[in-house]
Amino acid sequence: MNMKLIKNGLLFFILAIAPLITVSSSSMNSGDYKAPFTATPLSFLNLQINTYTPEFNSNTDSVIIPLKRAGRLFLIDAKVGEETGNLVFDSGANGLVLNETYFRNHIKSGGSTPTGVTGAVGMVEQIFVKQIQFAGLNYKNITADVTNLGHIENRRGIKILGLIGFSMMRKLEIVIDAKNNQLKLFRIDNAGKRFNKQLAEFRADHIQRIEGNSNILFLKGKISGKVLNFCLDTGCETNVICSDCNRSIMNTLTITGRSGLTGAGAAGSEVLYGRMNDFTIGHQQIQNMDTVITNLDALSEGYGTKIDGMLGYNFLEQGIICINFVKREFSIRFTKAVEK
Amino acid sequence: MKTLIRCALLLVGMFYTLNSLAQYDAEKVCRIDNGEIIFSINLKWTEKEKAAVSKQFNLDSAFIAQVYQGKTVITVGGETWNVKKVKPNIAELSKPIQSNNEKSLKFDDLFMEIDKWSNFAGKPAESSVVYGVNDFKISYVFVYNQKIARFYLPASKTAHKVYIAGSFNEWSTIQTAMEHVNDGWMAEVNLKPGKYEYKFIVDGEWITDPNNKLREGNDDGDYNSVVYCCNHRFELKGYKEARKVVVTGNFFSWNPKGIAMIKTSDGWTLPIYLKDGTYAYKFLVDKQWITDPAGKEVRKDADGNMNSFVEIGKPFLFKLDGYTSAEKVVLTGSFNGWNKSELVMNKTEKGWQLPYVVSAGNYEYKFIVDGEWMTDPANPFTTGSGNKVNSFIALKANYVFKLNQFPDAKTVIVSGSFNGWNEKGYRMTRQGGKWILPIYLPPGKYSYKFIVDGNWMIDPSNKLYEQNEYNNFNSVLWIEPF
Repeated sequence: MNMKLIKNGLLFFILAIAPLITVSSSSMNSGDYKAPFTATPLSFLNLQINTYTPEFNSNTDSVIIPLKRAGRLFLIDAKVGEETGNLVFDSGANGLVLNETYFRNHIKSGGSTPTGVTGAVGMVEQIFVKQIQFAGLNYKNITADVTNLGHIENRRGIKILGLIGFSMMRKLEIVIDAKNNQLKLFRIDNAGKRFNKQLAEFRADHIQRIEGNSNILFLKGKISGKVLNFCLDTGCETNVICSDCNRSIMNTLTITGRSGLTGAGAAGSEVLYGRMNDFTIGHQQIQNMDTVITNLDALSEGYGTKIDGMLGYNFLEQGIICINFVKREFSIRFTKAVEK
Repeated sequence: MKTLIRCALLLVGMFYTLNSLAQYDAEKVCRIDNGEIIFSINLKWTEKEKAAVSKQFNLDSAFIAQVYQGKTVITVGGETWNVKKVKPNIAELSKPIQSNNEKSLKFDDLFMEIDKWSNFAGKPAESSVVYGVNDFKISYVFVYNQKIARFYLPASKTAHKVYIAGSFNEWSTIQTAMEHVNDGWMAEVNLKPGKYEYKFIVDGEWITDPNNKLREGNDDGDYNSVVYCCNHRFELKGYKEARKVVVTGNFFSWNPKGIAMIKTSDGWTLPIYLKDGTYAYKFLVDKQWITDPAGKEVRKDADGNMNSFVEIGKPFLFKLDGYTSAEKVVLTGSFNGWNKSELVMNKTEKGWQLPYVVSAGNYEYKFIVDGEWMTDPANPFTTGSGNKVNSFIALKANYVFKLNQFPDAKTVIVSGSFNGWNEKGYRMTRQGGKWILPIYLPPGKYSYKFIVDGNWMIDPSNKLYEQNEYNNFNSVLWIEPF
């Protein structure tokens, strides 16, 4: 395993890449792609965002993507350049991140980003990709970061071409139905309304406004009455909550285990396993959500904003989620107890 | 008398209370408070309970023992723990939560730990399955013939697109579209005999095969349909009056319940998948054991019982030329647990030979010639070193490692994830101007390196390689299912 690479998605991106990213202007000359960050990450939340625009192969206003599963990772069958394989659906990935095992020999875009939280690592290069296709969507002439994703392959035993996040879909309405392993994408107009007016709008139990222009989605949730700042990360195989949260929050958690990685030379932060007993989003209380409890200072530092936790797989399976970046709305319809 | 009873009840109550105090409630052991991790240690815990806490919370047992010894400060692994007795039988063990951000977080290891925590052990490889029998509600929805599997999904008239995804196409959601035929959807897939899991995708929605009763749980708490592409048929003619006929054998651990056979117009039959190998079996006709009367091979087992035998797959002919004056030559290897007497070879004019069916795989073996162990002189492929050298053979090899350079090297070894990175692993042989090693690898990803005269190197002819934990590189190889 590569020491520098943390995980797919947000943790990986923040801890391994974001802290040191300073993209030169030469990396921004490719089609309609904008480099993920144009300044230090401390202020990237307010910076320009990627503007990938897909073409629909067929004359349709929506696509249903059957998501494959590898453990708790969601996978999309895709063709990237000449390679066919899996992309991890990972809302923690800001742009498109490709696995260097298969793409290291592609034409470099000229952009490269120094990486490494520890300073002991190399560079993340960027490449041109002529075409990416999945589920009837077609993206042309885009740029992607290239890095080692071998650790995900080795852990899950599947071929991973890369990570794909919301940046590729933000001009569409995104509906994630984790329980049924489906990702639905709807074409929307400039007002964020579905093209096909025959299709009923998403029926939500709770709607939250999306703040900022990031491809990373931040959500407000409450534990013990305190408002916390969570990232929604579809590539995160478990929820995570910071270990230095308010005392009253910590008191609501049930601790059920402790990681074996805390010995000398292993992980720098103690990792505890447990359950959130008192998590609320909107008016919906969700009990008994499994979570990892660990220090998220590096994550917060990378973002320049306090991150209290990450909502991953355990949150996704609570209901159907709809994200509309044009309307700036995050919506969720909870799976009723009888449906579970 | 009343007072006596009260006292007795009080004593029983006290005894119960004391006992319950010592009970181990895993969810109340640990808490986080004000930046500190705190463990409540019950000083009445049994050794078993202490061991459980130790395992669950990664606390060394010697460390816990120090709490019981009454220490108030314990330093372990560079961290200082404080111990405070809060109740007569309860000690609280606390320290600040570790948070050293200067170190690189190994989240991949973390996620592997989380897999363990979630009991995400993964499933055994389908290639390791020894036998299997299908169980469809309607027989015509699945037909396997001449290595072509035909799947049929009746109805779904309203669907626009239907795919079949399974272990045979790496669960691809786009590779195998089903064709709309009369009253349903059909797909034909080239498949080798074996076990496969699959699902249909009807307009983007995953569904199990509604006509297949065989299902297995998958990673997401849901089910996949399971099918066997059968390569053998047990048949028993006659016995029309029998009420129940089953077959059992070493593939079924000789379980007398057996696998039920299906009644036909002239007897009983059972299509079955059996992994390549040699199997002993018998029929049970209304609980009466019989060997196969159809003239199949019958041998006596170690207990003197007669069993029928069937060989699945083509036998490999093990040969040893010469040694014609020897009295007995035995073949032994990893394929039979290095049994020293089981596989006695047959004498021929030129030497010794034994046809033997083993499933695809990599095996080590030796001959025992009148008690003397020796490697196969006709086989250049060996493993190990010194006096622990065995002959190596890959049966049904599906990949050949090749290295064109280093003609003058003394030894070239290939080592990788397929053999636990064993440095003495598989020794390559120089043939046709290059170093080679044929090998059998089940489908999946492998990382590997060559060791040329002790120097590790990636495969120069393989463009796929990835960084490893030593900030170096490993070559990457994918073996596709077919």
